[in-house]
Amino acid sequence: MPEHASTPPAVRLRGITKRFPGVVANDGVDFEAAAGEVHALLGENGAGKTTLSNVMTGLYRPDGGSIELYGRPVEFRSPRDALDAGVSMVHQHFRLVGAFTVAENVVLGDHRGEARTFRLRPRRIERRVAELGEQYGLAVNPRAKIWQLSLGEQQRVEILKALYRESRVLILDEPTAVLTPQEAETLFVTLRSMADDGRTIVFISHKLNEVKAVAERVTVLRGGRSVATAPTTDATPQSLAELMVGRELAAIRPERVEVPVEDETLLEVEDLWADGDRGETALRGVSLRIRAGEILAVAGVAGNGQRELAETITGLRPATRGLISVRGKRLRGGDPRRAIRAGIAHVPEDRLGTGVAPSLDVASNAALKSYRGQGPFLRRRLIRRRADELIRTFDVRGATHATPARQLSGGNLQKVVLGREFSAKPTVLVAASPTRGLDVAAMASVHGYLREAAAEGMAILLISEDLDEILALAHRVVVLYEGELAGEVDPHGATVNEIGLLMAGGSRA
Amino acid sequence: MTIRIERRLEQPHWLAVAVPSASIVLALLLTGAVLLVTGHDPVHAYHRLFDAAFVGKDALTQTLVSATPLAFTGLAAAAAFRMQLFNIGAEGQLYFGAIFAAATALYLHSWPSALLIAAMVVAGAVGGAAWAAIPGVLRAFCRTNEIITSLMLNYVAALILNYLIFDSLSYWRDTSTPEAKVFPQGKMLPGGANWPSWGIVHSGPGLVIPLGFGVAVLVAVGLWALYSRTRFGFEVQVLGDSPRAARYAGIRTRRKILAVMCLSGAIAGIGGASQDGDFRHLLDPRGLQQAGYGYAGIVVAALGRYNPFAVVLISVLLGGLQNAGYALQGADFPSGLVGVMEGLILFSALGCELLRRYRVRVVRRTGHEPTVPATEPTS
Amino acid sequence: MNNGIVVVVAASGVLYGTPLLFAALGELLAERSGVLNLGVEGMMLVGAVMGFWAVQRVHGDSAIVLTAAIFVAALAGAAMALIHAFLVVTLRANQIVSGLALTIFAGAVGLSSYLGNDLNLADKPAKHAFDQISPFGLQKLPVVGPILFGQPLLVYISWVCVILIALYLSRTRPGLNVRAVGESPAAADAMGINVARYRYAHTIVGGAFAGVGGACFSLMITPQWVDGLTQGAGWIAIALVIFAFWRPELCLVGAYFFGAFSALPFTLQARGVTVAPELFQALPYVATVVVLVIVSMGWTKRGLGAPAALGTPYVREEL
Repeated sequence: MPEHASTPPAVRLRGITKRFPGVVANDGVDFEAAAGEVHALLGENGAGKTTLSNVMTGLYRPDGGSIELYGRPVEFRSPRDALDAGVSMVHQHFRLVGAFTVAENVVLGDHRGEARTFRLRPRRIERRVAELGEQYGLAVNPRAKIWQLSLGEQQRVEILKALYRESRVLILDEPTAVLTPQEAETLFVTLRSMADDGRTIVFISHKLNEVKAVAERVTVLRGGRSVATAPTTDATPQSLAELMVGRELAAIRPERVEVPVEDETLLEVEDLWADGDRGETALRGVSLRIRAGEILAVAGVAGNGQRELAETITGLRPATRGLISVRGKRLRGGDPRRAIRAGIAHVPEDRLGTGVAPSLDVASNAALKSYRGQGPFLRRRLIRRRADELIRTFDVRGATHATPARQLSGGNLQKVVLGREFSAKPTVLVAASPTRGLDVAAMASVHGYLREAAAEGMAILLISEDLDEILALAHRVVVLYEGELAGEVDPHGATVNEIGLLMAGGSRA
Repeated sequence: MTIRIERRLEQPHWLAVAVPSASIVLALLLTGAVLLVTGHDPVHAYHRLFDAAFVGKDALTQTLVSATPLAFTGLAAAAAFRMQLFNIGAEGQLYFGAIFAAATALYLHSWPSALLIAAMVVAGAVGGAAWAAIPGVLRAFCRTNEIITSLMLNYVAALILNYLIFDSLSYWRDTSTPEAKVFPQGKMLPGGANWPSWGIVHSGPGLVIPLGFGVAVLVAVGLWALYSRTRFGFEVQVLGDSPRAARYAGIRTRRKILAVMCLSGAIAGIGGASQDGDFRHLLDPRGLQQAGYGYAGIVVAALGRYNPFAVVLISVLLGGLQNAGYALQGADFPSGLVGVMEGLILFSALGCELLRRYRVRVVRRTGHEPTVPATEPTS
Repeated sequence: MNNGIVVVVAASGVLYGTPLLFAALGELLAERSGVLNLGVEGMMLVGAVMGFWAVQRVHGDSAIVLTAAIFVAALAGAAMALIHAFLVVTLRANQIVSGLALTIFAGAVGLSSYLGNDLNLADKPAKHAFDQISPFGLQKLPVVGPILFGQPLLVYISWVCVILIALYLSRTRPGLNVRAVGESPAAADAMGINVARYRYAHTIVGGAFAGVGGACFSLMITPQWVDGLTQGAGWIAIALVIFAFWRPELCLVGAYFFGAFSALPFTLQARGVTVAPELFQALPYVATVVVLVIVSMGWTKRGLGAPAALGTPYVREEL
């Protein structure tokens, strides 16, 4: 239970600001959590949750603002300072050394008091790890190597690290992303008992039901700012969803324009299964069908299989089971060139990392897929001309065909990628988060291009977290949750809240 | 107050010239310091170096003799390193080129000279490419790191070279005279296998350009054209910049890796053929190994930032340095100065490279300003 | 029996393998921290020449002079390694190019030659050298005697080093930390370990070992100074680390294996058996390539392989 109001909170962040080249990740964020409390930090991807937690744990130094622990101001110059001050974090991507054992990982870097021994005493460490595991329900074999463990077990190791170092503040970043529902339940029990011992737990998540289940209070972040803090008993999933997604957008809601759909099925996906990067099952039997001129939107918060779905259809990832067909012809998976040849275009989620070669100029990137079929020599003048045309048609600002791609702003870069994919006159377009990071005007033009493409008979798979966009553009909406299609929604009547509930794993009213 | 090292978002053009120049100046200063500390006169030493490299009689000609193999191995390294393929094996690939070219010359000895020389060039390329294919295949299909494999194969190639001349009665070995049986050396290549050279300037220092150097220039032009004007080169650029984007674009990554390794090896192999035809006229294991062209070529390529024309230019500069080093060897000139200078030039270039990619900023931390605490909004 | 070919070859293998062992141990430490240092040949040569210089110039009792010489050699190697460490850890330069630059700078046509000739060290035998010692007269034991107990002191010191390094890596806290730095600098950093400091320390100590390895040539094996007297031992040491799966105890085995194979053909020749030496000399390199392929194809147990972060500079996201 939260302590009496007169004692200072365990953690207090005031006015935290953190900038990166081109983006303000945290903009004057205030946050506080009390000892003995489980406090949730809620927000969409890109809202600034991970950045804030990295500031709290000394991985980032804030550009502005202050941190107080138990009323005393602290400054973390490195992760070591934060660890010494008793702040630990369980990251989304575990910071574990795969080749080491559990015990070795737990004791890594520890340099406190009794532990200052030069010689390692493996047996003593293993005993302590086993003790802690029993006490908090985090059973795991101290001698096992990390790579042998499941993700859920690896996460237990991360928590054991914090317990071993007697951290008083534990931050968990999207911890249930890698857990089954049962494991998540066990985790909540563990966190509760840790909090009852007087620790402070900060639980970062985007899943509404979890927030209600485990936390006493919740702070919502949006666009780098904190917008609300409230007890979870008072909040409803609807209210939280609204805060997360943002009401401002509702004001400039895109107009819905009906575009007729033809009968021919251009893309068919049958019982698709695929594995994610860490070997976990990311897609479970997804089936869908898109007809000519149709925009099918896949809604869902990132991390539920959207990336894997896009990559499997476009050939960047092999499917473990299932079929993909374009215009009725089966497509051999795992080969991007075949997918391109079959007429599948891809606007990837990770523009800079996958969609372009960052050091090459706009002209080269515009020709990234179209340079073939012109003989052994590059038709450079043609490439430059096409790039100029693209820049003009798609209103790319701040660049000429000679500008290196990494210098473009996010929005303009996306226009280059879109322009390139559209120009190939594809049969199917897979667009993953196409308007992420774009201003309203750019967003509107992208929506226009998508509609135009549909009008020309393209089948479009739109993967997006922006519900207003989905409702405005899509003919059909399906929701992806934990790798499965959780349900289909008719966009004509649906509301943001209804879809948001499905996205967050809630059930329909 | 903290010092932050930030990635530069853009690279102003003046840096491309300023950085290499600064590193050369820095290297000269550092070498000068080394000379001073050990009791030599830097100015005097530099003067003699410059003289022996470029000004003295036959200096330029000899410089080109040293520069030619460096140009080939430099181009070989540049071809591979551009795609983030670290082919350290130019040394061994050059040896194999020399082996294949010598065999071709000996076997086809009755052919007219022009054809014979052409055949040698082709044979050299084939030999070098074949040797480079081993680390290439391992990297492309087994994901084995090409740095170590190509390095190890350098040693195997050297041993093969030694075996052919010193420890066997192979095709390459000269068994004609009684002395040759005791002091093993390679068979002299036929007269038609002597690569021609052209005297350009006959007075003063004189300048004779060996065919090999001309071939190297042609290869540089070819490499430049390949990488900047063809589909192949485009794919290499993309793959070197972002393997993920290359996959996304449908580029066949593994085939490219193998192709570029073989290309790199082929260029080094032609360098080996040039050694046979231009300068040594027999297969010379000892001389080839002592020279270490393959490793020096990497230095050349790194300094030239993998641009083919810059590589040729720098091979002339470094060739001059090496040539001067040999010419000046003696009691009154510090031996080993060449290596020291080359090393310092490279260190400086590596260090200054940082300035191109990153910017150093001194940031004053903002103070702990108290802010108005956020009010608790109703849900 | 004591002069049988196996014994002679094995004894030579131990002797010639010792410089390889020192250099490989040093490179192993550097690589375990994630730094690839291709400058081993250069560092060995500088160690060789400076150790020799110390022996020629320092006056005193043999034991003192030799001890001083070893320290000087170690210091020289460490100084060279410092250059590489500065370039790749602080300035984030390409580790391969930097290592090669170090080899050229310090190598047979570089600093070592410069110093050796400037200090007039050539053509004179060492005033003191590491001779064979026979501890407790154990040399007289059959077979094992001459191989293991008729060796100079440096050989026994190398054994102690192997044990110390093996214990360091597997049983101590800093050893655990450095392994973490080499496997996953991000994890190590998140756990509060100073990645840069560990990389500097291990690269520099690696250089010290390489320097001692070089001194083995000029103070034990030859014992004289000639330009380039290591003749590529530094490169073999790099191969040796891989061949030994980055484990110190396997470095010992591998060093003697490599050493024996380079001595074997000459011993055979002395017996009138002519066999091309190159065949044997090539074996270590081929074996290394095979090992590397096995490791990269994932056919070994996990944990038997290169430190995962070897060769890549570590940059914390913000910095």
